[in-house]
Amino acid sequence: MIEDSPVLPAPVHRRVSGPQQGHGAATAHHGEILQGMFAGPEGHPRRGLVTLPCAIFGSQAAFDPAPGAVVAVEPGWKHKARLAVELALASRDLAGWGGRLTIRSNIPPQWGFGSSTCDITAALRALADAFQLDLPPATIAAIAVRAEMASDSIMFEDRAVLFAQRDGVVLEEFGGPLPALDVVGFNTDPAGAGVDTLNIAPAAYSYREVEAFRPLIGLLRRAIYAQDPRLVARVASASARINQRHLPKPQFERLEQLVESTGALGLQVAHSGTIAGIVFDPADGDGKRKIRRAQALIAELGFGSSWHFRTNERGERRPDE
Amino acid sequence: MMWPMKPREISPTIIDALKLPHLVRLGPNLYGAAFFLMKLLPACFILDCARDAGLLRPGATVIETTSGTFGLALALLCNQRGYRLILVSDPAIDEPLRRRLEELGAQVEIVRDPAPTGGFQRARLDRMAEFQAAYPDHFWPAQYDNDHNPGAYAPLTELLAEAIGQIDCLVGTVGSGGSMCGTSSYLRLLFPHLHAVGVDTHGSVLFGQPDRKRLLRGLGNSLMPRNVDHAAFDEVHWVAASEGFLATRELHRRHALYMGATSGTAYLVARWWAQQHPDASVVVLLPDEGYRYQETVYNDAWLRANDIWLSELPPAPRLVEHPRQAGPDWSRFLWGRRSYEQVLGGPWRSGALP
Repeated sequence: MIEDSPVLPAPVHRRVSGPQQGHGAATAHHGEILQGMFAGPEGHPRRGLVTLPCAIFGSQAAFDPAPGAVVAVEPGWKHKARLAVELALASRDLAGWGGRLTIRSNIPPQWGFGSSTCDITAALRALADAFQLDLPPATIAAIAVRAEMASDSIMFEDRAVLFAQRDGVVLEEFGGPLPALDVVGFNTDPAGAGVDTLNIAPAAYSYREVEAFRPLIGLLRRAIYAQDPRLVARVASASARINQRHLPKPQFERLEQLVESTGALGLQVAHSGTIAGIVFDPADGDGKRKIRRAQALIAELGFGSSWHFRTNERGERRPDE
Repeated sequence: MMWPMKPREISPTIIDALKLPHLVRLGPNLYGAAFFLMKLLPACFILDCARDAGLLRPGATVIETTSGTFGLALALLCNQRGYRLILVSDPAIDEPLRRRLEELGAQVEIVRDPAPTGGFQRARLDRMAEFQAAYPDHFWPAQYDNDHNPGAYAPLTELLAEAIGQIDCLVGTVGSGGSMCGTSSYLRLLFPHLHAVGVDTHGSVLFGQPDRKRLLRGLGNSLMPRNVDHAAFDEVHWVAASEGFLATRELHRRHALYMGATSGTAYLVARWWAQQHPDASVVVLLPDEGYRYQETVYNDAWLRANDIWLSELPPAPRLVEHPRQAGPDWSRFLWGRRSYEQVLGGPWRSGALP
């Protein structure tokens, strides 16, 4: 297990003129490749997930430090980000400081993009910038979980990790990024209000489901090692199917048919949200036509407009061994 | 920060060290999962689940009827975990195995006489019922009916998926149904089109043959375990003892793998299937080692004395239209993921047991 306690004071490198306005940014994710229960330390099962990064959405934060313990946030409803900043100030022996936190984001909340973790990560990076603090991803993760109960792993950016979203720790490092993927995303519940992660009970997995996450994590290790988008998509499709018994997506069978009929690699979902993605191989010469066809079919199914993004664009496929 | 990789570790017991198989390449598209003792996986998982559910208290008595490798797996586990073990068997149990079980602390009860109806199988169940009544605090693993038998194979599929990646076909022998039905169900979460090939022997009731005495042991059955999910199988093969034994020797000669007769029998089928489908990635389960068979399968004099010595393996199975047409040699039937009733026209009924 990897832990990085947020309560340990770290050295503060103040500028001669004192703290100044700091800036931070974070990109969203598109739900998960995999979410379930996994062996944690001492073999006890823990809830964990592997997120799919999505750089077309994101948050930007600015933090203006000021003496006094009050942190003000704009917009005012982003109180989780404010709480995270307060926790970070307290843990770094900066309790005498407050300030003004401003967040700008283009992420639709509660669809499963990880908007609140994204805000928190951007806010903590802005704070770190203002005070010249060293806040590594593991520290941001630990603070985020304290501020919002359950977090995503977007602070790790393109590093693929199995993240315990309720413990704020990394259960497994895969040693590299996910391979490059072409994803056509859409909202499976365009008329609905989305999902508030904290208002739904954590999935109660059967013993067979808990065991079923073992082959999924096994294949994901191979997929990341080989940088093979086909195998990643297999894992995503299997995890999405297991999740149907917990937070079902409408018209799931038709979406699986859509994957087959368009020549896509698989189906990926936000396990505690409403977005989903059809996964394609970026190396597919016929990919553009397939993506257009998928977007037309998604609209036909009544899911409204879709968006297209590519992950890990710099990624290279490992040559066949 | 980059976190250090986990170094190799010391196993708490030999069971933990040997539970998972070695993966060995047996052909361009054929991978063997060579187990020390495959039954360790279900035996361990069944006892773990029973302990976690409060059904198996420290020092309690485990009672099972077996003359095979499941009993050995239980004996290894009970020895290391401090459970008392009673195994009810029949005279078919071989002497070295009986001595080994007893040295591990198991009480081996041999039923000497078959029951008037139901034979040794019935007599063993009757004797086991007596022990179960005498030990009210006992736990019965019931490998034929316990869902934790097929449920135990997820760690195997984690290893297979991690080491191989794409898997298109799984080949293995069928006895309790646990390994093939469990492994294929976990793998099909990732590979829904996985082709499952079950390997049986003539005179086993599992896939619709009439029951009779069988020389090839460790696969097949005279009863129908609840853990055989017939709809898991795309294809079923029946292999004769002479063929299975020669294939076991072939596995040793070609690949230096000294395995038991079930391994050789599965290898015969898997090698043929992999050659027929060169673009498919094929895994074959090799359930145990060959030492128990030194004086039989690995002894030409014994093979000749039993009139089952073969000079060469048949190149291919015979495709049959119905399970009853299988035999006397290697035969193959396209089961097509159907139920027993769908294939045989009615449910299986025991001819011997009431």
